[in-house]
Amino acid sequence: MRRRGLIVACLALTACAGVLGLTRSGPRPFPHRKHVTAGVACTRCHVGLEAAPSTLHIPDDPACKTCHTEPHNQGSCLGCHAAPGALAELVEARDHLRFDHRQHAAPSRGDCMRCHIGIADGDDHLRPPMATCFRCHDHDAARDARRCDACHRGLEDTRLLPQSHLAHDGDWLREHGTRAAASGDLCQSCHRESFCAECHGKTVPALTATRRFADPFAASVHRAGFAARHSLEARSEPGACTTCHSPDRCAACHTSRGIAGEGRRSPHPRGWVGPAAADNEHGRQARRDPAACASCHDGAGQSLCIGCHKVGGVGGTPHPPGWSSKLPLGALPCRLCHPIGSAR
Amino acid sequence: MRRVLVVAAIAATSRADADPLRLRADALSTTASPAGLLTLEAGGASGPGLSAEAVVWTGSLSDQSRGDVLVIALRARTAEGRASVRVGRFVESLGALRPVHVDGAAGRVRLPFQLAVEAYAGIPVVPGLATARSWSWATGGRIARSIGDAGSIGVAYAQQRDGGRLVSEEIGIDAGAAVGRREDLGARLTYDLANPGIAEVAVTASHRSKALRTELYVSHRAASHLLPATSLFSVLGDVPAERAGAVATWRCAPRLDLVADLGARRVDRDVAPEAVVRARLRLDDLGTSALTGELRRDGVGDDTWTGARGAARIALPYSLAVSTELELVIPDRDRGLGSAWPWGLAALAWDNGTWQAAVALEASASPQDRRRVDVLGQLGRRWGLR
Repeated sequence: MRRRGLIVACLALTACAGVLGLTRSGPRPFPHRKHVTAGVACTRCHVGLEAAPSTLHIPDDPACKTCHTEPHNQGSCLGCHAAPGALAELVEARDHLRFDHRQHAAPSRGDCMRCHIGIADGDDHLRPPMATCFRCHDHDAARDARRCDACHRGLEDTRLLPQSHLAHDGDWLREHGTRAAASGDLCQSCHRESFCAECHGKTVPALTATRRFADPFAASVHRAGFAARHSLEARSEPGACTTCHSPDRCAACHTSRGIAGEGRRSPHPRGWVGPAAADNEHGRQARRDPAACASCHDGAGQSLCIGCHKVGGVGGTPHPPGWSSKLPLGALPCRLCHPIGSAR
Repeated sequence: MRRVLVVAAIAATSRADADPLRLRADALSTTASPAGLLTLEAGGASGPGLSAEAVVWTGSLSDQSRGDVLVIALRARTAEGRASVRVGRFVESLGALRPVHVDGAAGRVRLPFQLAVEAYAGIPVVPGLATARSWSWATGGRIARSIGDAGSIGVAYAQQRDGGRLVSEEIGIDAGAAVGRREDLGARLTYDLANPGIAEVAVTASHRSKALRTELYVSHRAASHLLPATSLFSVLGDVPAERAGAVATWRCAPRLDLVADLGARRVDRDVAPEAVVRARLRLDDLGTSALTGELRRDGVGDDTWTGARGAARIALPYSLAVSTELELVIPDRDRGLGSAWPWGLAALAWDNGTWQAAVALEASASPQDRRRVDVLGQLGRRWGLR
């Protein structure tokens, strides 16, 4: 039985190997090693390195055919002999790096492999990693000052992440508040002001989710059926909503949709408020999630609470033992329950 | 008028040898409400020292037409990056303190001994293009010190007043460190000074290997300390909500990622386990086509629920892509709001780099609507001007 299961698993893995990326089904990395060992100089194929830096310096089909006079296929050479990601990286590099091969020809003495280290071993990444630049260029001061634009251009528009991207590796939505706290200026080296404001802005929250509804992989706390489950999520994580929303936002939306507001029935269950301790669920719930209460009862709605919880009132003190505040008794909200001159 | 000023300010900072002036316009419409939204976005840089950015929107949401500025900011920096300043409307985030959306100014200076000082002052943003605003202001600052290349530690303070009344006063401590080549730590603590008590604490520690990343996290949040100090509900004391757990992200095959998040949540006296298991399969090397599936157990007390979510995006020829996203939420307690809340969306999108268009059909059954079907549409255009 176990052997049969093992065989089925092996067969399934073999069948899915291409989909899982275990075997390459699409274009393969260009066989640089074969060309290097055959004595083909890099600049024989990658022509124009000494010319304008705006080109990709990728050989076209006629260039290949100068040696491979009888191609085995009528399709484009790079259509099969280049990893698609590698070409995308080159386009990114051309558009977003201030780099010129001409300036590097002399220091490298024409040895391309000094920077393109893994190429001969079949590395997909034609663009050298940033650490390779740092072997010759001392950019410590620029890095500390977040002056990325000395080399990078329009970082906000790049799609590539740094190889070691400290903050984005894990559950970014949950974690970024902790990571970004210690290095906010680092975030600004890639992200524009609107990146933060699209979620944390008070004027139009959740713009990211609104604008990218057709992308199911766009990260957002408001994805999918959030409208249905938002009450469960809010009650399970009290205070989380107030990170972006003011408490009165709940009441504004519920009132406009006719879910709550004046003239509606009380949304609270039986036993919410009563003379006996067992009938006073509202106290426990208010402590658990005071933001939920504030969303409807702040402002004019406070009078409902103060009727019982004022000094000398039947509701007693809402403060827990040892509670203190630096606010004077004459300030809001203290003076609502503690009229000037009353005992604390 | 304000939009004209936005474009003029950005255009003034763009020179021929600078980064191109980026413009973007998006029009969104949905049958829900009904609602329409037009966003205009612009950004540009005049060399390395000066950049500007603006996002404005106008729309018909529900029964009211509105418009507002999300961001309009001018950013200047000295040539060596030692000092920078921002002016306008932006989100300011100072270390462990919560982000604040303000109309004002912010600056940052790097000092000797790897010290950095940043500060901001401004008027908290209120929704709507209101001209009559109450006298409220927010200000804060942070001093941080880098510890070599290993990390940094910072202390921040912020105060907000509304009409002279204290709304919030907080102090925060944040720290981040790369302990080894593969381990890093992050922590932040926020203390409420107006009604003394801990408002928030979050600590994460992670370890990375080539294919596996594991992370431990703990968080503590007291909602009463996150409310404005002027709120009656800010005096109810500390009843924290706490979370702790571990996440493992495993790239078990070049195109397949598995994520498992197991933990527990406590709110007052209620404790509940929570779990998320997610798989994501990229169908090509670039990940333009992908599938994902997710199972989730969440909530605490009477608000527990189980959910499943699946999504797919398939890239088609001619810059087209189809996508679908399905979700089913089953609350443990019915409460007469339905025993299951299904939600689904199917979309067709087209993006040729300059133009972007999408149309989607969304259907759901939720506590708000027994049955609901909506159509969403979007048309966008990007420009890059030199």
